[in-house]
Amino acid sequence: MADSNPKVWLEEFEAAARRPLEVRLRYAFIKTYKPVMDDARFRSFDSMADYRRWCEENLPRWLGYARV
Amino acid sequence: MRAFDYRQAEEIKDALKRHGVRYLFIGKSGAMLLGFPDTTQAVEIFADCDEENGRALVAALLELGFGLTSEEAAEIERGKDFVQLKNGPFDVDLVFAPDGIERFADAWSRHIDVEGFPVCHLDDIIASKEAAHREKDRESLPRLRAFRDYWKKQDQRR
Repeated sequence: MADSNPKVWLEEFEAAARRPLEVRLRYAFIKTYKPVMDDARFRSFDSMADYRRWCEENLPRWLGYARV
Repeated sequence: MRAFDYRQAEEIKDALKRHGVRYLFIGKSGAMLLGFPDTTQAVEIFADCDEENGRALVAALLELGFGLTSEEAAEIERGKDFVQLKNGPFDVDLVFAPDGIERFADAWSRHIDVEGFPVCHLDDIIASKEAAHREKDRESLPRLRAFRDYWKKQDQRR
């Protein structure tokens, strides 16, 4: 989780702005296993509401997909 | 599976362009293209929802190495609101009706081009995250809003 200090955020934004796109993307994407979410190769939902409901009913709460 | 990288970003951009797909990067991956420093797992693509665009999108995904069955391809072509793909070289979420954005054309009219990558405006990215009301977004939105303020100030100076 990023620091919650807006002054630190600004420093991070400025540092990112100095990096070229290729470097920014190199550090932007990570791959860690998400239980349930990563266990199917394909999922589709007729509506976003269906998807949100599925997330709430099936994913561990700590993944953060539940609605508040 | 490896995480998405710059070479793959170029490949997806080129494939979608070759096939004439109408799309925008959205979500955190879109914000990162605009300069937001953070991390994410999946590429999120907001595609215009019509069958012709869906067919073009399927053709591009097959070319990129996504293993779609004919049934899965048909679901993308029909434009289901949300499709999650973990059957290719990287994870992609296809969103045809993101929360908080009425029409693709509206988002397109406000979009930003980042070195050839068409990206939703930060206002739209934030609007869709606000409308989703998820715990993970509630945690990340303050920093994303702060980045929008910074980004708009930088834009005014250019």
